[in-house]
Amino acid sequence: MQKTESVKPKAESVKLKAESVKQKAIRADINTRVNSFLLLAFSVTLLAFSVKTAAQDSTALYIQQVLHPQEAEMRTQALARLAALQPPAAFPFLAAVSSSSLYLLDGRAVTTGSRSAGQDDRFPIYEVYPGQRQLKDEKGRPLLLPLSALQPVTASRPQRLQLAPLAAVLDMFSADAQKRAMAYSQQGAKGAAHADALRLALQTETDPLALRAGREAMYAVRLQRATDAAAARLLIDSLYQHNGDNATGILRNWAKKPGVPQEAAAYALQQAQRLDSHYAWMQRIQNLFSGVSLGSILILVSLGLAIVYGLAGIINMAHGEFLMIGAYTTYCMELLFTNVLQVQDANWFFIAALPASFVTAGLAGLLLERLVIRHLYARPLESLLATWGISLILIQAARTLFGDLTAVKLPGMLAGGWQVTPHLVLPWNRLFIILLTIVVVIALYGLLFRSRLGMQIRAVTQNRNMAACLGINTKRVDAVTFFIGSGLAGLAGCAMTLIGNVVPDMGQTYIVDSFLVVVTGGVGKLMGTIAAGLGIGIFSKVLEAFFQAVYGKVLILLGIMIFMQFRPRGLFPDKGRIAEN
Amino acid sequence: MLKAKSSSKLATLLFVLFFAVALPAGHWLGIVSVNTISLWGRYFCFAIAALGIDLVWGYTGIMSMCQAFFFCLGGYCMGMHLLLKATALQGQELPAFMVWNNITELPFFWQPFNGFVPALLLSLLVPAVVAFVIGYFVFKSRIKGVYMAIITQALALAMYLLFLRNETKLGGTNGLTNFKTLLGLDLYAPGVKVGLYFVAFGMLCLAYVACRKIVGSKFGKILQAIRDSEPRVGYTAYRVLHYKLAVFVAAAVLAGVAGMLYVPQTGIITPGRMDVKASVEMLMWVALGGRGRLKGAIIGALLVNCLYSFCTSLFPEGWLFILGLLYVLTVLYFDKGFLGLLELLFKAKRLKIAESIKQKAKSHQGGYKYSRQ
Amino acid sequence: MLLEVNDLAVAFGGVQALDLEYFSLEDKELRVVIGPNGAGKSTFMDILCGKTQPDRGTVRFREHSITGLTEVQIAELGIGRKFQQPSVFPGLTVFDNMVLAARMKKDVFSSLFFKMTGEFKDKVHAMAERVGLENVLQQPAGALSHGQKQWLEIAIVVLQDPQLLLIDEPAAGMSDRETEKTGELLLGLAEQHGVIVIEHDMHFVKQIANRLVSVLVNGKLLMEGSFEEVRNDQRVIDCYLGRANAQLEKV
Repeated sequence: MQKTESVKPKAESVKLKAESVKQKAIRADINTRVNSFLLLAFSVTLLAFSVKTAAQDSTALYIQQVLHPQEAEMRTQALARLAALQPPAAFPFLAAVSSSSLYLLDGRAVTTGSRSAGQDDRFPIYEVYPGQRQLKDEKGRPLLLPLSALQPVTASRPQRLQLAPLAAVLDMFSADAQKRAMAYSQQGAKGAAHADALRLALQTETDPLALRAGREAMYAVRLQRATDAAAARLLIDSLYQHNGDNATGILRNWAKKPGVPQEAAAYALQQAQRLDSHYAWMQRIQNLFSGVSLGSILILVSLGLAIVYGLAGIINMAHGEFLMIGAYTTYCMELLFTNVLQVQDANWFFIAALPASFVTAGLAGLLLERLVIRHLYARPLESLLATWGISLILIQAARTLFGDLTAVKLPGMLAGGWQVTPHLVLPWNRLFIILLTIVVVIALYGLLFRSRLGMQIRAVTQNRNMAACLGINTKRVDAVTFFIGSGLAGLAGCAMTLIGNVVPDMGQTYIVDSFLVVVTGGVGKLMGTIAAGLGIGIFSKVLEAFFQAVYGKVLILLGIMIFMQFRPRGLFPDKGRIAEN
Repeated sequence: MLKAKSSSKLATLLFVLFFAVALPAGHWLGIVSVNTISLWGRYFCFAIAALGIDLVWGYTGIMSMCQAFFFCLGGYCMGMHLLLKATALQGQELPAFMVWNNITELPFFWQPFNGFVPALLLSLLVPAVVAFVIGYFVFKSRIKGVYMAIITQALALAMYLLFLRNETKLGGTNGLTNFKTLLGLDLYAPGVKVGLYFVAFGMLCLAYVACRKIVGSKFGKILQAIRDSEPRVGYTAYRVLHYKLAVFVAAAVLAGVAGMLYVPQTGIITPGRMDVKASVEMLMWVALGGRGRLKGAIIGALLVNCLYSFCTSLFPEGWLFILGLLYVLTVLYFDKGFLGLLELLFKAKRLKIAESIKQKAKSHQGGYKYSRQ
Repeated sequence: MLLEVNDLAVAFGGVQALDLEYFSLEDKELRVVIGPNGAGKSTFMDILCGKTQPDRGTVRFREHSITGLTEVQIAELGIGRKFQQPSVFPGLTVFDNMVLAARMKKDVFSSLFFKMTGEFKDKVHAMAERVGLENVLQQPAGALSHGQKQWLEIAIVVLQDPQLLLIDEPAAGMSDRETEKTGELLLGLAEQHGVIVIEHDMHFVKQIANRLVSVLVNGKLLMEGSFEEVRNDQRVIDCYLGRANAQLEKV
């Protein structure tokens, strides 16, 4: 905050400077006007008026001409004038023109901001002249409107090209915060071509990310102009502490510049080095996090696979399709909530979809168990072929019903991420998946090791005949286990909609990996599945950081094959005589 | 028994006569188009690969899910040779896809494929060596059954992804295509197509006879012994690893031969031929025809592919439904495949007796416990 | 000395399955090993034939150390194992079962180009007659009765022509008549081979125990002695009675 205040006094002088520039521009303007015969007749009276009053009014006039030109030529002229005048108050307006996002709303010139997540077709609206101002509705909330409610004002390409030399400045006044942030960064990198405009833009900046980029650019600009080593050192420290996205680049480039004091240059390089190693660590944490999140999905998918295989000796190739069913259930819930129940809030459908996807996939699994898999118990290789056939049927059915590609919108509450440090953002959706996995694993452990049903499941897993002799209804246990296993895959599918598209063969992408997890973990071992899932997830992401994704996958596979040389029964094999059967 | 044998011999004779005489004769008389002939030629290639799968899976009980990969290895070897020839014919130095990928000189592993004989040998050798390496590590650590299936499946997936890349310099997603000549003969000439058909059919017959010999020998008996009771084979002083390796490599070579013959007939080979689906489908040919019987493998491969051509031309949307349903029905109800079904229809009574014996065998087969506390 | 075992131990998941200080077998000796369930008898054989690797200890067979060898290497050295649950090749005929077992070169190429000779056929037929399977030679082994499978497995092991036969509960599932016949067979085998037999049926033990009987309890060797000595030993009786497995009483 302190830093922005120090910027302010200078901004005043910028304004004064801008005024004088404008005066000159108007004089030039008068001269050029004579050339335009057609315009002359119309604007003579206005001209007299505008020369007399403040420059503001001439800007307003040109803006009116851009908005409501009598003829196309007039708009061209007006834009040319504005480009020459460069009135700061019109920058947002011109930014809207150059990005073709200028609209009229009740006679006011407006533009659209970037839409927030979960708001499909409605945009926040900004008035663009004078200055930029977000419009509110009657309750004081940001006004959101669909594009259809706005009347577009379209400048032709040649007209917009007149503004091209100003693009770097105008971007700093865009309604799109991301664009502004990029424009600031460019200023910082290029070294203050438009330092005054940068200051001006930062005065009204509210978006935190853009503000970060802007301040960094400001420091960079001041560093460029620093005259003595002490001041430079201070600014280098500021840059280091600010820890912006381009800090290392700025520092390194500055140190290379001729005429920089040697000691300060060395200091800059040293600080850049420190930042680099800091980033490297952040990157490692980010990779680890991606790995854990991939591992979580693998665990969710594999858990069901592992218990079903352990219990019934079934290689369920259609397991991935339960994931697909879960994802499509989520998609259907979204349709149901938005189209039938008219719930606009994008959070509710997802909350409802979690249990719904579990139950739907579970029921599908139950049906499959009854119809087909019941006949294949303890014939893993045959079951592999039959369930592969089922997976083909399910995929084709999904394709026929839903088409090739759909997507579920991200619930608003899971948009964005947790910014741990400036360079480490953990997306909420991935955090949610990890959390979901933890909850599921704990629940599953509770079920298997703390409940009567769990004891029965474990009993049937270890010795089906003996369990049946002891009066356990093995068929019921099979059915329940299959329900739970398939349901878990459905839940995984629901979670998958947070990070990817919904496609008919989405299950196939995960099925081979999931089987590898089951095999590596040791068949039927929950602990092994969890460890292997995390391990494979993390290794994949870490390897992907070094190699390309494909080679990462090949390496993972080679790793697993080497691993199997030493532990052919997986991480947590059964010991002793049970293992022999 | 004698009657069954002679009727089976008659069926084999009719099969050979039909494809060796009737179909080509039909072509020369103008009834059968050259495309149909060529289509059957390709089916024979699939049948050769299916024979290998039957050896490995049907007789030895190893479910290998990377046979399509071996098929493609053979195919790519031949494809590389054909592409180099086509490139030379057009007076260029490098195949077009290499030029697009900014490769300036022929990669070293492309060099041997300039000659026909080296290419021919390599398309047998490469699958054999790869199968040997994979098999050695997998069988040595005694990975079997489900583990084997999953590991080989993952391997097939990894290789598929690898072949999709442009960096492997094998044409990436588009694979190898635009072939022109084989040994100077125009691949698109009808005469050459019929010739290739005969080569494929001859190779199929040869492969069948060889497999017949293998299966009938003591080696074949040991394979079945491994399938039924692997530990006992070890305690009887047979090195199971060697036997498994031998049959795995043999199957890979058969798949390689099949791929090698397939490519000149289709004129294209892409990684799509070796994805996970392709390998499972190959297993399905064998399961559908009748696992553990060489004729079953051939009939299965021909039948499924006929059905595929038929269905995709009539109702393309429905093919996957039909295929999926076939998988399920075969596994659930026709455990012995199409051949078993035929026998069921013709010799219901005789089969009943055999069945009861088999059943007994199975029930004992299930519970191998060498020790009990 | 055909077999010499020192300080052999193996544990499964914390349970000490076997902890044998010393065990030895003379050439052409028939030894019966008895003991209650869980005494480690089968585990002992598992180690001898290479199915299980011991945690520590040495096994010397004909001056070869066999710990760490694979089951194939051990079988090649001349140890044959008959399992408790008969382990034959159910998909092959009885004849083929015996052909595969018989002693010969067993590498891939020999098998591929193996030619059946009349002499070889006679050998198989002779063995089939010895175990009473001459009438079922062309049946699949899976279709045999439990007792016939036991004999087939014994035939398989004997055809391998090993110096040491490990026979795990040969009489299980056999009628009295068959049991007696099995006993005679084993006694005949012991004239040329070393034999270790695990058995529960005390009538059968009495029939075949011509020299020593070893008693295993909780993985340890409780005692060794003649059948009479063992039968009258109070510790042996206690440990059988204590487990409500009073088979000794019946004798």
